[in-house]
Amino acid sequence: MSARHQLRALAALWRLGFAEASAYRVALFVWILTSTFPLISLALWAGIARDAPVGDFTQRDFVAYFVGAFLIRQLTSSWVVWDLERQIATGELSALLLRPIHPLLHHLMTNLAALPLRAALAAPLAIAVLVAAGGLQIAPSSLELLVLPLALVGAWLINFSVQLIIGSLAFWITSSSALYELWMTCYVVLSGYAVPTSLLPAGMTTAVRYLPFHAALGFPVELLIGRLSPAELLTGFAVQCCWVVALALAAGWTWRRGARVYGAVGA
Amino acid sequence: MAAQLRLSALAAAQYRVGFWTEGVLAVFWSLVGIVPLWVAIDHRGAVVGWGPWELMVLTGCFAALSSVFGAFLQPALIESMNHIRRGTLDHVLLRPADSLLLCLVAAFSPWRLLELVFGLVLIALSLARLGVTPELASVGVALGMGLASVACLYGLGILTLCLSFRAMQLQNLTYLFEALLDFSRWPIGVFRGLLKALFTFVIPLAVMTTYPAAALIGRADVTTLASALLTGAALLVVARLCWQVAVRGYTSASS
Repeated sequence: MSARHQLRALAALWRLGFAEASAYRVALFVWILTSTFPLISLALWAGIARDAPVGDFTQRDFVAYFVGAFLIRQLTSSWVVWDLERQIATGELSALLLRPIHPLLHHLMTNLAALPLRAALAAPLAIAVLVAAGGLQIAPSSLELLVLPLALVGAWLINFSVQLIIGSLAFWITSSSALYELWMTCYVVLSGYAVPTSLLPAGMTTAVRYLPFHAALGFPVELLIGRLSPAELLTGFAVQCCWVVALALAAGWTWRRGARVYGAVGA
Repeated sequence: MAAQLRLSALAAAQYRVGFWTEGVLAVFWSLVGIVPLWVAIDHRGAVVGWGPWELMVLTGCFAALSSVFGAFLQPALIESMNHIRRGTLDHVLLRPADSLLLCLVAAFSPWRLLELVFGLVLIALSLARLGVTPELASVGVALGMGLASVACLYGLGILTLCLSFRAMQLQNLTYLFEALLDFSRWPIGVFRGLLKALFTFVIPLAVMTTYPAAALIGRADVTTLASALLTGAALLVVARLCWQVAVRGYTSASS
């Protein structure tokens, strides 16, 4: 297949993903409401920080942090685990494997295509909260804004790869989505989703910052609200890069091994 | 009804792996969810007047409620929503028992009850640690609060179910519900203004965990109990009415 055909097929997949996302607008909206978790955390921590700052976080810092966490979570999440688990369990994957487009590319495009709609639904919510909380005071520097997309891509790739690894485990086990819940449980606490990681006890904070959870959420959020020194920024990027490479390689490997098993049972 | 429950239990017992994927995972989640509370305690010593072990009583109440939700309500809601979506609710409506009750026992995940055990043990441990020996009266109040709490849970659950008659593809409403429930880990006092009103009157998280925990450590009075019971009863009545309206508007696959 020529490069032009490939591109056209990718564009078609993008349109498919976009159409699917807009067909289930209500579902998508409920999904976004579900992910407003950081906004309620915001109210909660801002309430606790009303009288005096918690650690080095004042009330305003909490507002900036959690609105950032909400937006970045919206822009970096995907849902390969459930799709892939279903496709493997029902044999839908066989049809996808027959197509001239790699199944992973299919997942990649349909997941990416929902992002614009998701951003469009989430942005007004974030702005409303910011206005209600009295505006944002931290203006990120131009350097930070320049490198933010890089951090976002990294975070997205980490999430996507992890989902791919766990989804591919469905080739061997039946309850891979339960494993993903285990991952999410750790993610909520260790990524800075429920509470900024810098508020954890000192020793734990240092350790947590080297884990993939923090690279996938806490790091871009802190970058966005300008809490990182240049040195921390560099370390953050280095850690994130390492995880992206390691997880992407692991994802490719599990997928290839899994696809071989899938063929072997004759499905 | 009992037969339906037994059926669901048998179906779940076939899958032993559920012990790990549902039971242990839920307990793990209950434990891990303590971290934000612990961070707040670490920096402040107390959260709106609740000390560390008092918060553990609250966490125990949360685990118990979350277990009731996960074991009974959530699976039943998902199963009934599937019925509604596929138009097979007819089979349920035609049965010679109350359709709402049938829907509410449509499925059951016994492994999630592990979380209930965890919650009760946590409550007992924390009360011992606090040196509180609950008197008979406060146990009575706590039980009443527990009743109100479950009533609120079911009222909200039924309302969610009614919503799914209107819009399809709403399985994720139960996840929204679950995410909201998660905030009942915190005493209601941490919320202010609009959210506090929302979580006291509309989605009564306060009634669901804060009040029972307060009753256990002897901080609740009879007026709170009365208002909690009233809230629970009102929610159930409203939910029941909504259900009747929703079922009347339901068109099956055949009609």
